[in-house]
Amino acid sequence: MASANGGAYSYSLTVFSPSGKLVQIEHALAAVSQGTTSLGIKASNGIVIATEKKSSSILIDDSMVDKVAVICPNIGIVYSGMGPDFRILVNKARKSAQSYFKVYGEYPPTRVLTQEIATVMQEATQSGGVRPYGVSLLVAGWDINRGPTLYQVDPSGSFWAWKASAIGKNMVNAKTFLEKRIEDAIHTALLTLKEGFEGQMTEKTIEIGVVTVPTTDELEHAKTSPETGRPKPTFRKLTEEEVRDYLAL
Amino acid sequence: MSIMELNGGSVIAMVGKDCVAIASDLRLGNQALGLSSNFQRIFPVTDRIYVGLPGLGTDVHTLWEKFRFRVNMYTIKEEREIEPETFAHLVSSTLYEHRFGPYFIEPVIAGLAKTPSGGVKPFIAATDLIGCLNFAKDFVVAGTASSKLFGMAEGLWEPDLEPEDLFETISQALMNAVDRDAYSGWGCVVHVITKDKIVTRTLKGRMD
Amino acid sequence: MPDMNSLAHPQQHQFNPYTENGGTILAIAGEDFTVIAGDTRQSEGYSIQTRYAPKVFRLTDKAVLAVNGFAADGNMFVKKVRQRLEWYRHAHAKDMPLRAIARLIQTMLYARRFFPFYVYNILGGIEEDGSGAVYSFDPVGSYEREACRAAGAAQSLVQPFLDNQIYFKNQTPAQDTSHPVHLPLHSVLALVIDSFTGATERHIEVGDGLEMYVVLARGNPALQSLQDLPGAEEVTGTQAEERVFVIRRDLKKD
Repeated sequence: MASANGGAYSYSLTVFSPSGKLVQIEHALAAVSQGTTSLGIKASNGIVIATEKKSSSILIDDSMVDKVAVICPNIGIVYSGMGPDFRILVNKARKSAQSYFKVYGEYPPTRVLTQEIATVMQEATQSGGVRPYGVSLLVAGWDINRGPTLYQVDPSGSFWAWKASAIGKNMVNAKTFLEKRIEDAIHTALLTLKEGFEGQMTEKTIEIGVVTVPTTDELEHAKTSPETGRPKPTFRKLTEEEVRDYLAL
Repeated sequence: MSIMELNGGSVIAMVGKDCVAIASDLRLGNQALGLSSNFQRIFPVTDRIYVGLPGLGTDVHTLWEKFRFRVNMYTIKEEREIEPETFAHLVSSTLYEHRFGPYFIEPVIAGLAKTPSGGVKPFIAATDLIGCLNFAKDFVVAGTASSKLFGMAEGLWEPDLEPEDLFETISQALMNAVDRDAYSGWGCVVHVITKDKIVTRTLKGRMD
Repeated sequence: MPDMNSLAHPQQHQFNPYTENGGTILAIAGEDFTVIAGDTRQSEGYSIQTRYAPKVFRLTDKAVLAVNGFAADGNMFVKKVRQRLEWYRHAHAKDMPLRAIARLIQTMLYARRFFPFYVYNILGGIEEDGSGAVYSFDPVGSYEREACRAAGAAQSLVQPFLDNQIYFKNQTPAQDTSHPVHLPLHSVLALVIDSFTGATERHIEVGDGLEMYVVLARGNPALQSLQDLPGAEEVTGTQAEERVFVIRRDLKKD
């Protein structure tokens, strides 16, 4: 673990410590956990994102402080951590949404935009002369395909979808609070990966992909499927039902 | 010598009742000389979208590969099939990337869009060689026989044609148009896209 | 004022005596009638000069001539043909037969082989045997008799439509049936109107008005229905047995 001053591996350049950690990212997460608490909750018909907006001086005009930002008509984000870093990300996210619109004539789905932001944040962990972004984000959006979705993006560039989440100073308590209000959790075990698996395995906690080698006949004649005119995929992921069926054997 | 007319070929698309049709001739030539009577210039984009690429033969292949690449990237990245209107915008922006040294292709797009209620909505569009979109409600045409196709379609098309009637209408429009165009003809292919199936028919035409 | 630089280079000037005035003409022959039609827009480049400039002219009671291309040449050509037809009447005390007018037009056009009338002609009417006939010409006199022909700005839009609807091209008749050789007058008029509305929709040089001349052969049973048709005007000149009517329709003016 990093010492108070950051230790021997606390360079501005993000490098691995012998234990396999990127200490700069941990510092960035520390910056986030000092930031004001933000939270997002997904409901069946919408999402709420919220954050604290406390000013350090009464002289500040808080009507001009924006911590929840509109990215495009269907997506908004909130952050915990460093405000200036957030501003840069908002700018990049807005540009990304607009260039997507320029190509496709519509705004990006939430997941695609989240991935774009996450990529920007990841690049800051692998590029020279930069430091990771000192923010975690909650991205809330709606699209025709997935409906309302809520994502969290961390300084490392990892992102997840949540039913509800909290980031910032009070995130641990806030999450516990939220957990009590989320009803269905997943608890079924999966057989294939049982060995050495921590916790229980379900079709939700593992994924299986398969490669089906095409037969000589398929390669010779049916290179494309007659219905779609496209090649039959050789790699595919098993559906949750399939995983369940396999494990039931 | 116009590059747009070097290889010849024409495409037309029409809207029907809960269906669309797209059709093309099969000629590939070098000016007056015919080279192939089985040159496919219409391609399947998804189960419900077809694109026709009349124009310079070499660009037909290059551009189709480019569209295939971009649609596959879209499908994987977004984990969903592209919608016809989105694809039309993709075609448009891809062509506009080459604004000052364009691909010599005037694409025609036909497909069925999904409606929020789970139904389908016919969609057709065409662009010029630098991607200017034309979303028509009735029919779109492109290629060396375009003026003839306009005349035919303007005379034959009517709203809400059933799939079989739409097939007859688009086939007659195309066949009679290409018969008056020296650069198009040598057989035709017609695709009729409906909610649950795609009917593809290859038509015999005049071979002169 | 030419600058010194441009005067340093040789300047070439050439007078172009021709203009293209747009518009489209069309003729369809029936068994015992002929329809000869043309729009009435006259344009030069993107400018409309007039919305009513006739391109279709009654020559005799069995011959109607449509001219398209360079309007000045067209008008002069019709004038000269009419003059020759009057001379013929004075010499022979009868109207020139249709096939003779066709040959006359060829001769007149070819006479100007090296300074042509910049005009596409379509001659329609009734032959001496009472059949409907259409003769089409190129500017220097090549001609043939046909059942239908379109010419002018929207020829490429209209001709394939006519191939399909008049000649039944690419259509296979049902078992034990055959396509009709000639269509009835009402079908022909409907096709002419459809052709021109279609051409008006897609071609900027076509529109404003439509004039359809109908030449009926002796004893044509459609006579009564034409006389009853609102807007159909009889323009028969003499007491001849052939009857000539003109039907006018509005076309879009945009």
